[in-house]
Amino acid sequence: MTTDAMPVRISSGRVFARACAAEWTRLWTVKATWWFLAVAASIMVGLGAVAGLDAGSDPTPSPNASAWAAAHFTVLPAQFAFLALVLSAVTSDYATGGIIPTLQWTPRRTILFLARTGVAVGTATVAGTVLALGSAVAAFVAARSALSLPLGEGIHGLATIAFVLAAGTALAAGLGFLLRNTAGGLVSVFLLILLLPLILPQFGYAWLTTVADLLPGSRAVFLLNGEPTDRGFTNTSSVIVMLAWAIGMAVLGWLRLIRDDANH
Amino acid sequence: MIRIRGLTKRYGDVLAVDDLSFDVEPGKVTGFLGPNGAGKSTTMRMILGLDRPSSGEVLVNGQPFAAYAEPLREVGALLDPGAVHSGRTGRNHLRVAARTNGLPLRRVEEVIDQVGLGSAARRRIKGYSLGMRQRLGIAAALLADPRVLLFDEPINGLDLDGVRWIRDLLRRLADDGRTVLVSSHLMSEMEQTADRLVVIGRGRLIANATTAEILNGLGRRQVRVRSPRPVELLKHLQEDGFAVEQLDGQELQVEDRTAEEVGELAHHFHIPLHHLSDVQQSLEQAFLELTGDSVEYHGHRAEPVDAATEVAL
Repeated sequence: MTTDAMPVRISSGRVFARACAAEWTRLWTVKATWWFLAVAASIMVGLGAVAGLDAGSDPTPSPNASAWAAAHFTVLPAQFAFLALVLSAVTSDYATGGIIPTLQWTPRRTILFLARTGVAVGTATVAGTVLALGSAVAAFVAARSALSLPLGEGIHGLATIAFVLAAGTALAAGLGFLLRNTAGGLVSVFLLILLLPLILPQFGYAWLTTVADLLPGSRAVFLLNGEPTDRGFTNTSSVIVMLAWAIGMAVLGWLRLIRDDANH
Repeated sequence: MIRIRGLTKRYGDVLAVDDLSFDVEPGKVTGFLGPNGAGKSTTMRMILGLDRPSSGEVLVNGQPFAAYAEPLREVGALLDPGAVHSGRTGRNHLRVAARTNGLPLRRVEEVIDQVGLGSAARRRIKGYSLGMRQRLGIAAALLADPRVLLFDEPINGLDLDGVRWIRDLLRRLADDGRTVLVSSHLMSEMEQTADRLVVIGRGRLIANATTAEILNGLGRRQVRVRSPRPVELLKHLQEDGFAVEQLDGQELQVEDRTAEEVGELAHHFHIPLHHLSDVQQSLEQAFLELTGDSVEYHGHRAEPVDAATEVAL
């Protein structure tokens, strides 16, 4: 027999915490998450070790060479595994129709958006930063003292990597909510992060180069590797550009989630 | 209790739901009937806040569904059993649901047993039959012991045992005092399970009454009567304004009257009767009469091709 018990007031914070717990379970109960992390780990630790071996076998090693460079270098290809992880965490619900039960269980859409984005972006960022540390350590060990591992540089480097991953994956999450389509999201991410920043400056038109300068991929490369040096980039401007993309795309994705029908 | 007022949903030029108003009361199984494309699923999606109404409102136990912090305790729903991430196991699917509403994980094991999913709960959903997916969806709906239950075509894909199980489940849930809304295009099924029927066609409300009322009142009533003096009976019935038709030598069919009325008239004129009965309409017939003009997608019988007609290929 049903009872008309007095309704218990549940705070939004508690609803959010529950939604985060559910998102955490969602993330780890599908194979795709593990595959993407395995790919990222292979790239970062594997290539880090290769870079270390290469440095160790150099007959004229640079006295200031740092193992942290391996982390900065390997995160460039590995970031696509994290971007795909976050994209699939958002779009798989649309591909499978799982958004129907999801919104039945968490109908407060802003809370769902914050929980899903927060858990996916947080997981990718933390995992990426830990793997960056693993990449640097692998390079350091494999180099047999040919590379150094200074602590101060490491903290700064890992913070930069964490920022680039957080901003990039937040952009991917926003794109996922906006497009509701995995393939479309992946193509867009590749264009914004990799292809357009590389291709546009090749045409030789100043305006196309300016467009490339405003893309998140150009700024991610600058923050991680300091290149290019001839386009007037600064750390501050690069952080602002990446934040603008991340926040802008997240807001667009949020607006689509809260305004549109569940999956029409 | 579900309260729907002036609910309208427009997709571009298509009016999927048109100014729908009705209540779904607790303690009853309410059948939600309509032909394909009538707007049943769209209405259910709007009850659950999945689709936004173009106008009108839906309240579930006095509030919009999306306002609930613990919605699973208010409404358990199964709309599309295929709408799940098939790479997850059934148990993990239910664990996610439990976490969203702060439910203890032991409830997951309880509903797995309740719906008879058993050891299949350990397997990935991609290996489930449609019937197993239905059971999984129903398990999720029952997880928080909600006061309102919504099922969209719940017997699709179920075997005979499953159909019986669903019928019993719906009955038990309603008898517990819960509000139960079940959509179906299977009129015969609703005849067996629903206490009330809400019939819609082309998004509009056609009927909202008890199943018995729909069977006896809204559908066309007919009386069959057999007498050794049919011509005399026919004459008296017609004189009294009855619409009557002689079916064969001794049998008459009277439209829109009850057996009592026909029997009293025959008695008045001392005409013996050998048979007198109300023609029990099936819900199927009543439904077809009610929705006859409201079917969006008609099937057409192929016209015989005239031998003399040239067919251009």
